[in-house]
Amino acid sequence: MNSSQTLAIVLNTFREAVRDRVLYNLIAFALILIASALLFGEISIGIQKTILINLGLSSISIFGLLIAIFLGIGLVYKEMDKRSLYAVLSKPIRRSQFVVGKFLGLNFTILVNTALMSIGLWAALFYLTRGFEPRDIHIWEAIYFILLQLSLVTALCLFFSCFSTPVLSAVFTFVAYVIGNLASDIRAFGELTQNNLLQTLTTGLYYLLPNFSNFNVSAWVAHGNAVGREVILLNTAYALCYDAILVAASMSIFARKDLK
Amino acid sequence: MTKRGLRPARWKMALFLVCAFAGLVPAQMALNERVARYRNTPELIWIPSGRVLRALSLGHNGLLADIYWTRAVQHFGSQRVERKFEYPLLAPLLDITVALDPQLLIAYKFGGVFLSAPPPLGAGQPEKAVELLRRGIAENPDEWRLWHDLGFLYYWELKDYKSASEAYLQGSKHPNAAPWMEVMAAVILQKGGDRETSRFLWTEIYNSTEDVTIRENARDHLDTLRALDDIDELERRVAAFRDRAGRWPESLQEVVAAGLLQGIPADPAGHPYQLQPEGKVTVDPSSPVKLDYGPSPGSL
Repeated sequence: MNSSQTLAIVLNTFREAVRDRVLYNLIAFALILIASALLFGEISIGIQKTILINLGLSSISIFGLLIAIFLGIGLVYKEMDKRSLYAVLSKPIRRSQFVVGKFLGLNFTILVNTALMSIGLWAALFYLTRGFEPRDIHIWEAIYFILLQLSLVTALCLFFSCFSTPVLSAVFTFVAYVIGNLASDIRAFGELTQNNLLQTLTTGLYYLLPNFSNFNVSAWVAHGNAVGREVILLNTAYALCYDAILVAASMSIFARKDLK
Repeated sequence: MTKRGLRPARWKMALFLVCAFAGLVPAQMALNERVARYRNTPELIWIPSGRVLRALSLGHNGLLADIYWTRAVQHFGSQRVERKFEYPLLAPLLDITVALDPQLLIAYKFGGVFLSAPPPLGAGQPEKAVELLRRGIAENPDEWRLWHDLGFLYYWELKDYKSASEAYLQGSKHPNAAPWMEVMAAVILQKGGDRETSRFLWTEIYNSTEDVTIRENARDHLDTLRALDDIDELERRVAAFRDRAGRWPESLQEVVAAGLLQGIPADPAGHPYQLQPEGKVTVDPSSPVKLDYGPSPGSL
């Protein structure tokens, strides 16, 4: 696989995403929401900073999710609809390169967006506390986990967009996101029933579904607590493995797709 | 249509918009009065289980906990402002808050004080407060101060000095615990609820909390303890006057005139103390200092 060709697709995907006005609206809205945390903290007692961090991280996560879904669902479909895909594939570029390039391009876009929103969060934090504490650095651990989570969402979007329409891809991705967040509860439900078949089924689902709750450390770091190094490594490995599975599946589907 | 033709139309549109908005204000003011009774619905907790809410939060449990904590504080504050002095939602709201974010220490501390305090100061549910604090200790084993909060709850509200001493002793085993925790365990077991111990513990709460409501509550209790000390001393001077004159003084001025007092002292809020028949001294009824501020330990 020629890496310069893949890089060209990555950059092209990024450029295309940057042209989308929805992106800027979402970022602006997220930044306004983070700034509003300063006011929200005023009506509570003793946790102004905690509220700011929680609201900031939730904003980055929710708007990142929206950006990933809105941009991800059109990754393949839009190229086919505009017929620009044919121009790309007429060049010596493999279909798998196209899929990988699209995936990495969207992740790069999300990385840049998350960085912008994170700057907003840190600026609001500085405004509130007039300085940073050493334990504030753990906020980056939560932001990193949000990025891992969003890379999974992007992979899911890409996977669904290889065989369905944008609307259906958005629905599938969102449903997978919701169920993935409830994976632990699904398994706990199976254990409660004491039915062997149901227990096996729910345990299977637990391992099969992307477990988004693995990445939920926002409340923990909002209190200045550090995330264990092992958790960071394992979550990275988990996200990379799951991404690899979904991208490989997308490549396989896209390779067989009839583009005529 | 020419550009000139457009201008009057624009002005007319602008005028219409201004008039329409101006009309909205009195309409809204009239509606405010009329729809108030429709809005006056009882506060409800639609989903009472913190565990269910945590699952439904889709990973945003920290933010949701902050919202529930704010709601708990607002509920407590608004009931106080409206002088209802009943806090039926305080326990469930705090329960949900800590289920969503078990590390939100302020919720345990707030609950420890205001769930246990009797009405009108709190919800009068010390057993719920004990439950909440024990949950906090289980979730945050590094926070030795929660043992102090639990010990104080047993000491002040429940007057269960044995349990209070045990709580302080447990907390003192924590490597970061303050040295006075162990001392407190011994003192409470030996002396029960004496005023000096109470003063030390309330001062500790006053100095350690960042929560304004908890700090004000601690300050009020410290004022009460100081007033009780002042009253004891004043009653001793009044008794000395009686020993000397063979009668109770008519006023504190008489005690001053007899040289037994330098002047008429004031309570911590600045209101002069008052002399009652039979040599009893009390605070001015208009003073914010309350002598019966919550149930005080027996020997107060």
